[in-house]
This record gives sequence, structure tokens and C-alpha cells, in this order.
Amino acid sequence: MNKEKSPYLPENATILNVEKMAEREKLFEIELDSGEPLNHEPGQFVEVSVPGVGEAPISISSSPTKEGNSFELCIRKVGNVTNVIHTLEEGDQIGIRGPYGEGFPVEELKGHDVIFIAGGLGIAPLRSLINYTLDRREEFEDIKILYGCRKPCELLYEDEVEEWRGMDNIDYRETVDECPDDVCWEGNVGVITTLIPGIDIDLENSYTVVCGPPIMYRFVLQELKQKEVPDERIYLSLERRMKCGVGKCGHCQINGKDGEFYVCQDGPVFNYDIVNDFEEAL
Amino acid sequence: MKPEEKPKVAFFDFAGCEGDQLQIANLEEKILDLLNIVEVVSFREVMTEHSDDYDVAFIEGSITDTHNEERLKEIRENADVLVAIGACATIGGINSIRNVQDFEKVQDRVYGDERDHYEAWEKAKPAKAVVDVDYEVHGCPIDRDEFLHVVQSLVMGREPHIPDHPVCVECKLNENVCAFERDEFCVGPVTRAGCDSCCVNEGTICWGCRGMIDNPNEDAHEEVLEEYGLTAEEVMNKFDLYFAWQKEVRKDE
Amino acid sequence: MKVIKKEDLKGFIDGLIEKGEREVVGVKSKDSKYVFDTLEDAEELELDYDVTILPPKKYFMPQRETLVEYKTKKGIDMEAVNEVIPRIIIGVHPYDLEAIKQMDKVFADSPEDYNYSEKRSKSILIGVNMQKTSEWSFAGSMGNATIDDGYDLMLTDLGDKYAVEIGSSKGRELLDEGSLKIRDAEPEEIEEVENIEEDIKNKFEKELDFSPEKLPWLLAQKYGDEDFWEENAEDCYSCGTCNIVCPTCYCFDVQDFNDISLEEGERMRQWDGCMLEAFAEVAGGENFREERAERYRHRYMRKGRYLYNRFGDIACVGCGRCSSQCVPDIADPTDIFNKLWRDKDE
Repeated sequence: MNKEKSPYLPENATILNVEKMAEREKLFEIELDSGEPLNHEPGQFVEVSVPGVGEAPISISSSPTKEGNSFELCIRKVGNVTNVIHTLEEGDQIGIRGPYGEGFPVEELKGHDVIFIAGGLGIAPLRSLINYTLDRREEFEDIKILYGCRKPCELLYEDEVEEWRGMDNIDYRETVDECPDDVCWEGNVGVITTLIPGIDIDLENSYTVVCGPPIMYRFVLQELKQKEVPDERIYLSLERRMKCGVGKCGHCQINGKDGEFYVCQDGPVFNYDIVNDFEEAL
Repeated sequence: MKPEEKPKVAFFDFAGCEGDQLQIANLEEKILDLLNIVEVVSFREVMTEHSDDYDVAFIEGSITDTHNEERLKEIRENADVLVAIGACATIGGINSIRNVQDFEKVQDRVYGDERDHYEAWEKAKPAKAVVDVDYEVHGCPIDRDEFLHVVQSLVMGREPHIPDHPVCVECKLNENVCAFERDEFCVGPVTRAGCDSCCVNEGTICWGCRGMIDNPNEDAHEEVLEEYGLTAEEVMNKFDLYFAWQKEVRKDE
Repeated sequence: MKVIKKEDLKGFIDGLIEKGEREVVGVKSKDSKYVFDTLEDAEELELDYDVTILPPKKYFMPQRETLVEYKTKKGIDMEAVNEVIPRIIIGVHPYDLEAIKQMDKVFADSPEDYNYSEKRSKSILIGVNMQKTSEWSFAGSMGNATIDDGYDLMLTDLGDKYAVEIGSSKGRELLDEGSLKIRDAEPEEIEEVENIEEDIKNKFEKELDFSPEKLPWLLAQKYGDEDFWEENAEDCYSCGTCNIVCPTCYCFDVQDFNDISLEEGERMRQWDGCMLEAFAEVAGGENFREERAERYRHRYMRKGRYLYNRFGDIACVGCGRCSSQCVPDIADPTDIFNKLWRDKDE
């Protein structure tokens, strides 16, 4: 069959750099062997292929504004494919399909305040948009980043976070659920929702972008409701089982009384006003 | 993806018929391919040499007395990876029929006058009831291709694909006429797939040799079998042929 | 409309088999049931069947199919694979033709799935009007007792002859291929076919109490009634039978199968089912439809509402395969759909 024709055929790509970020997460810098840029939008994902093991959907963690043609994936070891990816090194080849899905509505966000709320690995897809807004800082108004993880040792992108801490044109706040006694931690201790009451949200002029584990959404959304943030000003990125990434295999469908979505095509980024009636979404 | 060094593997048998090792011995030309990825250091059915220096131990048969238990624990100590092969080792197998019978009678029937010389347990157990098991190859006997798949997976350090859905899936993919439509009754609806529904493909029924799936709807299936006219005892017999140990564990949970 | 004698059709089919340009597939008996299978002789063909175990979708989306072949010895080398066998498929009932029309839309939707569409375009569909109906079928209620398009040729049994309706240029060309003894239908023969088609509509033992266009609305109403779905799903085995035998189920799983050398292998897709427990489970263990009742509801929502929203078709064609093959007998769509109608809020 004609190579260009199959939506299931990955492109070859090479790992340029691997950085261990935490016990279960590594950051991979990858370039397509064609030398072409990935041409993605913040919030989109790719299907990463390890022939012989399988494919896994992974959100793209770098901003398209990043210099060069490479892109970055922050990958947690949670299954067969990601376990094997963690054994790969600089120079190793993998397969890539994509970019797929609807990312964050960058144009809609421009000219507004943007509040990022990231829990755990949720920072990975959000970072693609955070870095986009930081690279084009003048196109956005106030930027707030609320980042929480379970323990200080699970904090991802340590070097960048260190920069965010020192930046005076953004408001960066962080928290850990718990901190062992022997670890030095100057930030807040408590779940991510404890950071929300302390921030001022200009309801007229801001967007809130949330990403984290399924359990986090419910509590974060409750807090935002307390603050009277309108549903349509909240965007979230959802995770589902996916096999094809192109709206065929049926696995990532989310249902509700009023309709249904394919996370791979209609998402992974959704407006909360659209998915909040979907019983299966959150 | 191929690892540099071949793991050393050894085969051990407990209470069972050794039919699973026979399946492996019968891999024929594929056994040479297998030897490209592992080094066999002990396999009583096909070679005379034996070594206790192994990385992977394959266990066949169920564990039925204290002597078995101690020997299995020793093997577990020696091996990095332990694989249970065949229904006796994975779910107690045919041996566990006795788990639901009167033990006195079982002893009389099996050992007769010699019964006092044997200290068999009242209940047969699978390997995982005694030690940690890393991989399982289900079936009575095992499926050769699935065995190869599990070996490949352990060599590569990944989880094998072992289905957790009923045999009905494969039976329908093979476009079999359902046993229930032939006025026969099987336990395929609660049995773990992965056998390619081989028995039904040949016109018989599924006896359940791969054990129940993790979350079977056995209540519904018992009801259905009764609705189809089986007596309560016949229904129990269907379920106890291979599931006796699993059923007891599920009851205790 | 044309007319052909039964014995001449047989000869024509035997000619096609002998020619071997395309695989000739038709309905054959298997024990007490029927299946679509390769014909070695036109004698094997059973055109007065009720329903086949699996629908003919297996020829366009096989149960297992290689999508990609890979080699990993030096770096990685991957190639797309699509094994296309040109086929003539004889004896497709109208409800299955409708299902194929729906699947054509699903797989043509961007990005097009060429593994499906190339197999589909290389096939010729010869339909047949139903002579017998399965006791579980309600194709009449779903508007699929007969069909006006979706076939290349359509046969209707007229005793010792068949009426042949030509549905496409592919069908016309096929008739031109052999030295076929075929003639134009007489007006009374045309009328006879019309009468037969009218009669089929009343032949079904099962039926909906309402018009199927109401299904999307009824299902939306019932979505939140958890007790209803739990009650009906209580005996579900989660065995996926209803999915696998369904002519409009197309969900699939993809897995890599290595050669024993571990240096090459195939990435294969195989039919999956939303009723199976692991269907919505992600790596790490979170399962987004963990309960039987959630999965059971999902199937009905998908057949009667979701695919309708997306592609404009009610994705239940009324073949009755799911209900006839469900061992605990909980998969009859007319039972559930009629309950929705009974419980509706005006």
C-alpha cells in the first residue's frame, strides 16, 4: 500500500535527548527523521510507537514557539509502552503519528488573563501552553500558574519552575500534598485547591486552564465555582484510552445525556461549559 | 529490542500430567527459534543435563503437600522470574476437583490401603497460593503460541497480552455455532479467552481450563444453566471441573 | 430489471469461481446456522437463509488484520500493510447492505481508513431479498426489510428464476462478463417483485412500537435512569458477543505481535467490544466505564444516538444477531427500545 495513505503508519523519529525528571517521569526531546517540524498546537498529542510493544498517546509538552524542529514529551512509566520508552536513550528511534486532536484555543486566550492549574503530570500538556504564553508574553495579560504535586520530589521541570519562581511578570504558586520531614520545601503544603482561594480572578477578563488526574478536576472545578468563574471560561484536558488517535477505534468516546465526544478528535482539550453535563467526562 | 544475553531457563513439575511440558517439547521447529532467545538448562522431558543455575523457572502442576511447598519455595529463591504453566499451576486445575469433595473418600480412592503413607493436603493449590508468580500461561494443556508469547514478553521485560474477557469473544470471532444453540452447555461465558476457542472450534464445548476471568458473572451463568434445564448438581459439576480453587478464593474475598 | 433462470445463475457463479479473478463468497450452512464463506461450487449457496452468524463486514474489516509491519534489527523500519482480495459477495440481505452503507461513511470520514475502503471498493455486493426471517429480526421496524441502493445487484427469488435489479455500473459490468442468459423482466414479474417486497415488511415476529427516528430522543431521556440500566444489565457476562456479531460495531484494538526472533513483527488490529471490561481502561488502571450497567448503556446509546449524531444513521439495522446470540438473553434491542417508549416523558 502507498505509504502516505495509511493513517496508522508512524513516521520515524529519533530521540535527541533524555532527561530524568522524577522517579517515574522522563523528558524526551524528539525530532522527526524527515527533519520537518511537528507543526503542533499547544495541547495536542501524538501516538508514540515502539514497534514490538505498541503505541501510546502522549501529550506534547513543548510549545510550538520553541526553537528548532524538535519537540518534547514528558512520559510517565505506567504501562508496557511507556516502560520500554523509559529504557531508550539518545539516538534511539521511535515512531510518531500526529499531532492529533484539538489543542488549547490560543487565539481566544490572547489579550486575556490566563490562570493555569496543574496537578501532577497535568503540567506536561499545560507546559506547551505555558511556554507559548511566556514566549509571547506581550500577547497575554496577567499570567498565573498554580502547580501542585504529591511530594517535592515529584515536581517536574525543576529548572523551568525555578525560573518561573523568579519571574516578575507572572504569578507562580506551588504546593505539595505532603512534605517528608527531611525535605526542604518553602512552598505551600496542601492540595492544589488550597491555592485557589488566595488568587484574584478578574472574572470578566480571564481564562482558567486546568489539567490533572481525574480526581483533581472535581475539587478544582468546585473551587472555581465558589469564585464564580463562568464555565465557558474554563478549559480542561482529558485523558482516555486511545488506540488509533483518529476517531475510528471507539475507545476514547465520552458520553453524556446530550451527546458524545471523541477525546482524540474533539479533545483532548475541552471547554468546561461543553463537557460539564457529560456524566462520563469528569 | 533483543536483549544481549539469553536468560537461563529451567522446567519443574509438581502434581500434574506434564502435558504442558509435552506441548513445549512438541514445538518442533519453533523450539530452535526459542533457543535463540533462551538457554534451557533443565528440562527433564527432553534432556538429561540439569543445572540449578537458572534465571527463569517454569512450574507445571499444582501444589498438594508440604514437600511440594518447600521445593517450590526453594525454586522461587533461586529464580529471578517464576512462570506457572498449565491449569494445575495457574488455577489448581483438575487436581482441585478434590477441594470440593470429601477428603476421606478422596484418599481412599487414590491411595487405598496405602493412604497413611501420603500426607497430601486436603486441597490442591496453584503456585501463586504458595509463592509470588510473575507470569502465567493458562490452559490444559497450554497453547504453544501463547507460551512463546509469554517467553518473548519475559525476555523483553514487558507484560504479555493475556485476555481478561470470556472465551465467547474468540468463539464469535471464529464464527462458531454457540454450544447453547446446539443444546450443549459450556462455561465459555465466564472462562478466560486466549485459547482461540479451540475446543468449540472442533465442535465440542468450553470446559473452563483457562480459569475464570477476573470478574466473571458466575451468578448469572449458574442461573442461565439452570434455566436451560441443568440440575443444580450438574451446574456445580460444570463449575468445579476447573474452577474449584478460584471459586473458593472468590468466596473468601 | 432483468430475469435469470436459477440454473443459469448457478452456471454463471460457477463460471466466476472457475475464472478465479475474484474470490467468490456466499452464504453457506454451518451446522444449523449460516455463514458467509468462500464458495467452491455454486451448489453450496443457500440464498433462502434467515441470518448469518457474523455479518459480511468481516470482508472489509477482518477480525484480525495487519496494519503495519516492522523490523527493529537496525533502527526501526515500518511499512503500512493492506491485504486486499477482490471479492464477489453473494446473498447479502437488505439490513446488512444498510449496515455496510453506514460503515462506508464511518471509514471514509477523515482521515480515510484505506484498510477498509480499498477492500470495500474492490468488492461486488450481490444482495438478495429475504425469503426467511430470523425469529429475532425486526429489520422491518428499522426500515430495512428491503433496500433501494447499496448493492451492485439485487436478487429476488421468483420460483425457478431470479429477478435481478442492477444497482451500479459494477453490477452491470459483472453481468456483461460472462455469456449470461439473461432477459428483461416482464411487467408481471416486476409487479411480483414489488408484491414480494411489500410482503416481507410484515414477516417479522419482533417489532418496535414506535418509529425509530424517535430513538435518539428516547435514549437521551433514559440516559440518567441508572436503576433501569442496572436492572437490565444485571445478567450481562461482558462477553462482547453482541458487539462482535453486530454489523455496525467497528471498534478495534491494536497490538504488536513479534516474530519469535524479536526483530520483526506485525501491528494488528482486531475487533474489540465496548461491553468488554477493559474497553475504557487506561494504562495505570483507571477504568472510565467500570460497571456492567455503564457499558450496557453505552452500547444502546451508541446504536441509537451517538452514531446518529455523528453520521446521521440509526446504527441498529434490526438484524437480531445480538439478541439471538446472547446466552443470558438480555440483548434484545426491541425489548429495551420498547421499554424506553413505554417509560417516555411526553
